[in-house]
Amino acid sequence: MIRKKQPAPPDMSSDGAVTVAAVEAVFDGCYDFESRDLRIGGDQAQTARLCFIDGLVSGSDVAEQVIKPLTDPRRFSGNISAADVIAMLLGGSVYVYTAKSRDKLGELTGDLLNGFCALIFDKERTAVTFEVKSQQRRSVEAPKEEKVIKGAKDAFVETMKINTTLVRRKVRNAHLKIKEFNLGMRADTAATLIYIDGFTNEGIVAEAARRLSGIKTEGVLTSAVIEENIVDNYRSPFPQVISTERSDKFCMNLLEGRVGILVDGLPLGFLVPGTFSQFMKVPEDHSGHFIVASALTLLRYLAVFLTLLAPAFYVAVAMYHQEMIPTRLMQSMIEARSSVPFPTAVEVILMLLAFELLQEAGIRLPSPIGETVSIIGALIVGQSAVEASVVSPVVVVVIALAGIAGYTMPNQDMGSALRLCRFLMVLAAIALGMFGVATASAILVYHLAGLESYGVPYMSPFAGSEGRHLSRALFRRSMTVKRDREPELKTGDGGEAKL
Amino acid sequence: MKKYLCLILALIPLLSLSGCAGLSIFSNYRQLENIELVRAVSLDLSDGGVNAAIYGTAGEESPARMYENPGPSVGVALGELILTPLGREAILSHTESVLIGQDLAKTGLRECLDYVERFSETRLDTDILIVRDGSARDLLAGLSGDETSSADVLSGLGKNISRLGEGYFFTCREIASSLAENGCALIQCVRGVKEEKLFDARGELDLESAGFAVARDGVVTDFLSDEETLGAMLLLGKYRSGNLDLPLGDQTVTVSMDLVGTDIAPRFDRDGALTALDITFDFRANVINLSGPVEITDSSVRRTCEEELTKIMTGAATAAVEKSRALGTDFLDLEGAVERRAPIKFRDMGADWQDVFLTLPVRIKGTSVLARTYDIADPPELSGKEDKSPWEKLTELLKDS
Repeated sequence: MIRKKQPAPPDMSSDGAVTVAAVEAVFDGCYDFESRDLRIGGDQAQTARLCFIDGLVSGSDVAEQVIKPLTDPRRFSGNISAADVIAMLLGGSVYVYTAKSRDKLGELTGDLLNGFCALIFDKERTAVTFEVKSQQRRSVEAPKEEKVIKGAKDAFVETMKINTTLVRRKVRNAHLKIKEFNLGMRADTAATLIYIDGFTNEGIVAEAARRLSGIKTEGVLTSAVIEENIVDNYRSPFPQVISTERSDKFCMNLLEGRVGILVDGLPLGFLVPGTFSQFMKVPEDHSGHFIVASALTLLRYLAVFLTLLAPAFYVAVAMYHQEMIPTRLMQSMIEARSSVPFPTAVEVILMLLAFELLQEAGIRLPSPIGETVSIIGALIVGQSAVEASVVSPVVVVVIALAGIAGYTMPNQDMGSALRLCRFLMVLAAIALGMFGVATASAILVYHLAGLESYGVPYMSPFAGSEGRHLSRALFRRSMTVKRDREPELKTGDGGEAKL
Repeated sequence: MKKYLCLILALIPLLSLSGCAGLSIFSNYRQLENIELVRAVSLDLSDGGVNAAIYGTAGEESPARMYENPGPSVGVALGELILTPLGREAILSHTESVLIGQDLAKTGLRECLDYVERFSETRLDTDILIVRDGSARDLLAGLSGDETSSADVLSGLGKNISRLGEGYFFTCREIASSLAENGCALIQCVRGVKEEKLFDARGELDLESAGFAVARDGVVTDFLSDEETLGAMLLLGKYRSGNLDLPLGDQTVTVSMDLVGTDIAPRFDRDGALTALDITFDFRANVINLSGPVEITDSSVRRTCEEELTKIMTGAATAAVEKSRALGTDFLDLEGAVERRAPIKFRDMGADWQDVFLTLPVRIKGTSVLARTYDIADPPELSGKEDKSPWEKLTELLKDS
């Protein structure tokens, strides 16, 4: 019996040779993988296999810019060898601006997954790839999460190339370096590290590159994958990476000496190092009058104390330190409390939970319904709770004040961290009164003062810089005044802005 | 691990130094709805001890209630009132006034002041008042009506008499520090008077100032007249505003004091001995009423008024100094004034202040200025023209021109 000889299975490793069989084996079962034979110059003898992934490439571009010139007998006439064809293709015989020669399977599959089409010369075990990416992408729009009052309205989108273009347009500097990284072991995601060479601190750039390349994950589909992998202390609830969808804020921080990170598929830019004072600032501070901007910054710091301490302070005073309450207020508080069946601690915890539930419901529901639920819910629940004597009006006022103060935080992550700490503060106040609040505050300050972001103290300039640059965090100077950069960033120009 | 160890090490001194190690903070734990807010306390002499009464309220709209309890001491009498018969816990942290009966004040104030000073809830800025011609408990009960609380009436009187220059509510801190430094102190006295009710919801009694009491070594020894009280306020710098009637022939000119400047200057001889004390006053007042036709704009009338004002005020100050000397107590704190003005010379003076003070010549002078006369008795621009409208006045004016 003559046994039919089975063909050897193709080598599918990334270093494997580029053959049609190997590529088709790699994409076996992928319904969006397309391939077809192409006669170069219409010559029957010289054929190549054109492969691409439908949807990632633009069909019209493939037809117009690749297939049309390839099949044109005037370009590829006579009896030319495959090596000559490859040389001609790399030399510009087709109308595509990026053409690469690939002889390793890994490189080829990478190109195909990044919106290239490949022309495989099976005998030569070589492929030429052309960039013909599909233009189906979200256009640049105004930021939705970070409101712009007076400033640029071009927010980052999911396509990294567009995002890098937005940055390039704002920072027209040849020293603006954009280094590419590939993240994710399974979902290969492109990311870029952006900095101004010779200006941004080299140590921070090197450390950011090290941390970025060290990310071990299946794929980068959410921002937490980046943030938690590149921060110094991932256990801290306080944000240590500035994330923004505003390209102007991103560029402003690049010009301050920070390192930016853009990830394909995420409409966000990340900036390191992140310090507490940076989370208190908004780009509008640089758009409005400097006195108004300074007053608003101070207001935001006041809001931090209010959102963090108002409920805890109320609990401590109402339960343990009644002597601190002015007489008239005390009388009305006693009156209001007399019909409430729950102790102060339960009352406050209930209201805090109700507030969080309303907020969560408002976020999860579709936009128009969500907003209605938050506003109407807060009004109705608050009013009804007071009328039903479930809570006293003072508690509603205190919780609402703390909640509203929390909404003034420019950064949502910072707001969430403060919300979490607010609960802990209330628990400390319930347990030990004002002493508990003081102890919990001391622990919080200890934690914050111990944090570092890429060698920069998190609480700088409040801690770690002897308070010399305190005014820089609290006030904005006029643009006509020569400004100092954050000295902790140790920029190449010695921290002095050359205006 | 190292961080947590640091944290625990930091908490140990925090707990031990704050006094919270024994969880004493929980003794402060109270629910607001169980609190009886005490705003005024009265203390009277009773058989074998003290009768304490507290005036409490349990909210804005709740009726104010009075609870009283006799006891062998202030601490016991008040301590037994902390848990009221209604089961609420009385807290003394919002006590604004402590009224002490005249009889108790004469036997000794020290225990009352000690209680206010040392009890953890009571505040040092509580007003201490002595009730004359009646018991403190009756005054407290008589002041409150359906819509008025005795604490509010007391607080209102404090502001009123201070504004009118009739007295000054000394706090526990001021009295205690004066007793500690000088051995004597002044205390405001009040008196309950029965007057026609201005509105029904008011209490049976009205309150009026009754001058200052002089306490020496913790015991009230004497009371000052109205003139001496005025003089004491001037010398202690407590007189800031007030109305005064100046006699001018058959008429009276009422002035409102606008500004009072006091300068106490000690005079020393070459040997460093204190030879005299020059007290100079500068008064500035405005005329607010004339009892009849007075040519107040006339410079001689004005000068007469100013001289009268100086005479009254310097007379009051002289009376206060004389009273102080007569009682042998420097309740005007002239010693402190001399020490503040010339600290080194005072230190080197050598002699005992008590001996110096009794024989020291005190020269009191004053100058007065009537800043504004408000010639209201005969306003020239309005006389005979009241019946004309502004339009008619304007027409007349245009015709004249």
